Amino acid sequence: MKKQHLSALLLASFLLLMPLALQAQEAAATDQEAPAATQPSKHFSFGVLGGLDRNYHIIDMSYMDAYSYTPFAPGKSYGLQLGYSPWKWLTFRLDGVMLDKNYYRDHTLTNYGGFYPDTTTNQYLNVPLVVMLNVGNTVRLHLFGGVYGGYWLSSHRKGRTMAVFGSPEYDVDVDLDSPLSQRRDNRKDFGYTYGAGLSAIFAKMIELGVEIRWYYGIYDIQKEYMTNLNPRYNTTMVLQAGLNFWL
Amino acid sequence: MKTHLFRTVVFSSLILLTLSACRKESTVDKFDNPNSRTCTSYAIQFETVWQGMDQGYVFWADDTVDWDERYRTFKPVFEAFDTMPYVSMAAYQAAYDGLFQGLLDHHLMGIFFAPGRNGRFAVVRPGSNDYSHPTYSGAELERELQVLRSRADLIDYVGFDATIDPNTSMSLPGTYFALFKGKRAGEKIAYFRFTDFSLSNMCYNKDYLYYKISALAPIKAFYGTDDASGMTPYGYANDESVVGIIIDLRGNPGGNTADLVPFIGSLSQSINLVGYTRVKDGFGRLDYSPWAEYWINCPSRHLLQPKPIVALVDINSVSCAELSTLLIKGLPNGTVIGERTYGAVGALLPSSNYSHDLFYSGCMGNQELYEDYGNYAYLGYPELLRIFNSQYHNVFPFYIYTSTFNQVDKDFNQVEGVGVQPDIEVLYNRNRLWNDNVDVQFERAISFIKNGR
Repeated sequence: MKKQHLSALLLASFLLLMPLALQAQEAAATDQEAPAATQPSKHFSFGVLGGLDRNYHIIDMSYMDAYSYTPFAPGKSYGLQLGYSPWKWLTFRLDGVMLDKNYYRDHTLTNYGGFYPDTTTNQYLNVPLVVMLNVGNTVRLHLFGGVYGGYWLSSHRKGRTMAVFGSPEYDVDVDLDSPLSQRRDNRKDFGYTYGAGLSAIFAKMIELGVEIRWYYGIYDIQKEYMTNLNPRYNTTMVLQAGLNFWL
Repeated sequence: MKTHLFRTVVFSSLILLTLSACRKESTVDKFDNPNSRTCTSYAIQFETVWQGMDQGYVFWADDTVDWDERYRTFKPVFEAFDTMPYVSMAAYQAAYDGLFQGLLDHHLMGIFFAPGRNGRFAVVRPGSNDYSHPTYSGAELERELQVLRSRADLIDYVGFDATIDPNTSMSLPGTYFALFKGKRAGEKIAYFRFTDFSLSNMCYNKDYLYYKISALAPIKAFYGTDDASGMTPYGYANDESVVGIIIDLRGNPGGNTADLVPFIGSLSQSINLVGYTRVKDGFGRLDYSPWAEYWINCPSRHLLQPKPIVALVDINSVSCAELSTLLIKGLPNGTVIGERTYGAVGALLPSSNYSHDLFYSGCMGNQELYEDYGNYAYLGYPELLRIFNSQYHNVFPFYIYTSTFNQVDKDFNQVEGVGVQPDIEVLYNRNRLWNDNVDVQFERAISFIKNGR
């Protein structure tokens, strides 16, 4: 089992088992806290979320200093969320999110007068599972951390390249099902997600919040098809708002 | 409760921090640009060559060679060379032959030099292991010309004239034009053959190498002008009595792509999509740019009137000769007769500084080594070795001539290493050429023009 897979499995196990251990501790104590009137008295929630993101494509270009990778922002993020809150200070949340992981590559050859930019826009389905620690009553602060799994759905490239005779410009969809892509591209995504947020609760049922979140991918976006593979990762920062309904 | 919360937060943070080191470390820092690395041993030369090809070879998507396996196999061989008091030329050559064996790029040529007592150099051309026949030799080309000029249906011939300077050592027939009788009275068939794709250079530099001037007259006879501007109404190609054209690309090794538009594009009626190209754009073997269309334009000065065009090709039709074949094959009035072509269509930029530093791919290594080797035909092996010995004392230079562009035809079919397939296959027959005075491939081409099949 690869180190990344083992690490992910250990962290997921810890996150899932931790509340059970805490619950066992909690059962020994009497319930001294009465819920405040403005806190949700229900345990389950569902909602929607959406926002903007900025993706950092992590790659070591070494001596290829004519290349540089920068974010191509903003990307967009939108999806659904499900929550379970056994206590007011703890929530487990599962999202299903469509997320852009875009980047811009500059390839400028000052000595030769060549300029070959490339913008790659990628859309992923990410499913993060996080543990949220909540502080406050009507207005709450959240800290959260967890893991996510994902799948690379589509990719598009726009830019220009060296051409012998013909237009150097291109604006194409990358066929992720092509034989080349199947050899090269790792469509499965996995990593850690963490962040912080602020929310306000209305009528014990409706929660409106904003959060900033990072997705830290630990899966190389390439398959290991060669020995000296130069790994490539995505780290995505998302600023999003959410509307939650407590059942 | 608060203690539990605190412990939970701290423990979770420690887990996250620990596991955040799960990304693999990059290993590319240990590699230098192969153009800038100074190789001081066999092992370093091997590592640099292998790594340069690993990152800059443009056919990894289609090549079947296991390059990682080649590393495991040949790294010990070159390391062993560094421990030996003497490495023979045969052993050095065999090691590089083995390393490059089977690679798809049919342009690929590698030149490697090892200093030492008298030094040694190795040259590899993996594509040359394909079937071949000796149409490159001067004797074969002259025989074909003799047979052509002895035909009873020959009307006119414009070519190299040895009477201009009988002392010239030029033995190849060079560029020539011929006119033959057609099937019906008054009909003619125009034929044009040229040594390589350097016609534009000859036209622009009319005093460029004496014997090259012989190309201008046949060019003018066929196209009607010798200014490399394309087709005119004044050449035989556009003469109303000429009912068909044969462009003979046999034994043509290619050359400058600047010739394609004025001399080949001018045979068509419009701009032509010949295929698609892409380049490497990253460290990974499979990091490619998207495909770019490869068009050969048709000069707009004057169009060739539509008539059957035959491209006569063989296994020694290379590079630009193959791109020309693709263009003619794609014309509604075009037909390819002969053999499959060589299979070297990936365009390249020979300057290693420009090519490899442009997209970090294509030609790489010591440019001077390549330029000196280019004079091999004139200098000979002993003199070339003396030059290398004098220039390279403690360094192990190399030069790899390989494609910058991966090219396919307009249907995205691989042509590299495969060649362009003829519409009508006629294999070269040396016996008939030398014993019966019959060029079977030319016979089939002229029969096709006369009979339409």
